[in-house]
Amino acid sequence: MSEPSLVLQATGLHKSYRSGDRQIEVLAGVDLTVGPGESVAIRGESGAGKSTLLNLLAGLDTADAGRLEWNGVGVTPSSATGLRNRFLGMVFQSFYLIPELTARDNVLMPRRIGGRIDAAARQRAEQLLSNVGLSDRGHHLPTQLSGGERQRVALARALMNQPPLLLADEPTGNLDERTGDSVIELLLGLCADTRTSLILVTHNPAHAAKTQRVLTLHAGKLHHG
Amino acid sequence: MPWYFYLALKQLFPSGRRFPFFTAISVLGVALGVGLLVVVTSVMGGFGYEIRRMIVETEGEVQIKSRALIADADRLVEQIERVPGVDAATPYASGVVMIVHEGRPAYPAMRGLDLTTVGRVVNLSHYIRLGSMDDLDDDSVVLSSELAQSLGVTVGGRIEVYSPLMIEKLRSDEIFLAREVRVVGILEIGHQQLDSSMLYCTVRLAQDLYGLGSSVHGINVRAKSGVGEDELAARLNASGLPRGVQAFSWMDSFEEFLWVLNLEKGMIFFLLLFIVIVAAFSVMSSLLISVVRKTREIGLLGALGARARGVAACFCVQGVLIGFFGTAAGLILGFVALALRNDIVLTIARFTQREEALRRFYQFSNLPAHTAPGDIILIIGLTLVISLFAGLIPAWRAARLKPVEAFRNE
Ligand SMILES: Nc1ncnc2c1ncn2[C@@H]1O[C@H](COP(=O)(O)OP(=O)(O)O)[C@@H](O)[C@H]1O
Ligand SMILES: [Mg+2]
Repeated sequence: MSEPSLVLQATGLHKSYRSGDRQIEVLAGVDLTVGPGESVAIRGESGAGKSTLLNLLAGLDTADAGRLEWNGVGVTPSSATGLRNRFLGMVFQSFYLIPELTARDNVLMPRRIGGRIDAAARQRAEQLLSNVGLSDRGHHLPTQLSGGERQRVALARALMNQPPLLLADEPTGNLDERTGDSVIELLLGLCADTRTSLILVTHNPAHAAKTQRVLTLHAGKLHHG
Repeated sequence: MPWYFYLALKQLFPSGRRFPFFTAISVLGVALGVGLLVVVTSVMGGFGYEIRRMIVETEGEVQIKSRALIADADRLVEQIERVPGVDAATPYASGVVMIVHEGRPAYPAMRGLDLTTVGRVVNLSHYIRLGSMDDLDDDSVVLSSELAQSLGVTVGGRIEVYSPLMIEKLRSDEIFLAREVRVVGILEIGHQQLDSSMLYCTVRLAQDLYGLGSSVHGINVRAKSGVGEDELAARLNASGLPRGVQAFSWMDSFEEFLWVLNLEKGMIFFLLLFIVIVAAFSVMSSLLISVVRKTREIGLLGALGARARGVAACFCVQGVLIGFFGTAAGLILGFVALALRNDIVLTIARFTQREEALRRFYQFSNLPAHTAPGDIILIIGLTLVISLFAGLIPAWRAARLKPVEAFRNE
């Protein structure tokens, strides 16, 4: 079977928020397509609506208008719930590791939610931990890891279920420059190796430049460059 | 194991933490409530159980009573013993007498026993502290311990017995002589009321004293093991007893007393249940705090594809698990306290110098305890249900949390 031509297609996404008696239009008709294995960077100033857009693309929030397709299938937030576990991985600025779980168990969490833990799953978790350079830190709790290490655990977790798409919302925002650079290298490298499509929200022009396509969110719309 | 169960366990018992302090506090609250419930229902149950034991061991499970005297006791005993479920029956005569020892009077309840059959129905020998039941004849009596003590008489001593019949005779100017009898045994049942004022003699002596001829007042019946006393009483009543003769289970005979006891037990159970409910509130509030504290992680679970009801289950399970461990710890706590109850009570009594008062107040020489399996099942069931409810509200809060909103709480 051939790959679907598009992993993600969003057309005419609108989203506005009420602020007192004023409507703030954050997204005013966003169109975006991402092909298999493609990496896209989205830039934009703070408050431009980048996180809002990612949440819509992840099916975590409802758009006021517009259409969203995953692998060619139309999804709504309610249908996305059942698909999200397999379809996409997410990485956040603040890592969001579960503090009671070891690095290894955090990595395994998507599989627990989506199915069951078997030997193959454990093996994959070990492989991912070693891919992000933490093979000897699997038994450590998040509090025993540095920021960069935590983000690498979060990255391994996002890839656990081999999703076709990875959404990263300012993954280096809480990291110092050198650590951030290495996390981005790792992120791009892993996505390229596994042909995982990537949407990377970042402020850093150097990081954005490493993706295949750079978009800027401005005045509620996406622009090239 | 479903992920929410796994995560619930991990949140209660985090990896790498040797002692889960917060969980322990919540569990302890529930455990204290459960432990107290177990102890108190057992002790309350113990009073009822001890009283039942004493009544049954001294009077049999079923008492046959008559409005008039029972003239042909032997035939009636025979008839009763043919009823299925009856193990044995023995006639008795009873009444109040006055006894005097060295000028000191007392007014005990007298019970005349049929020596040939009484042993098959009640086991009085078991309670003999001094002397022997075997020495009892028509010129001797057995006294309850406190009665003997207050009269200052012991085995081998002599007492005079007066009956109401003699007063009748006195009225009609007949001469009468007090009956002089020997004390051949001292009996102690362990219940203050029963031990304070009982006199046991042969049924013939009782008949003499009361001028009954060969009649008796009633018949005590022992049930075969496994036969319920109420059922047996009903069966006896349906078996064609003579007119005016009726069978009562020991519970009928002591109905009011037992009713009060049961009411007390129910009230105390209800009040103590509030300890569990209060503990459940503290479990609920700590789970609610945890929901608020974990807002972002709950959002993350949504981003990983968890459904709202899975998130809800995670917190519900935590409530139930705390309830479960609290119940288990509480049962252990309760049973240990029960095993040590006499030491505990004695220590407290000694500390407050109330040993004697305590014994008198409780009427038993040992603090009785009887744990009814039904009570334990009720305690376990109610605690688990209450802790499930304690988990429901935090669970509902967590399930309502939208991942997007959770992430915005930066
Ligand atoms: N739930 C909300 N209610 C009101 N305003 C919101 C809400 N979510 C986002 N916004 C507003 O939408 C705009 C875009 O926010 P966001 O997507 O977080 O921006 P970015 O990630 O690009 O910094 C901001 O002005 C923010 O205040
Ligand atoms: Mg943002």
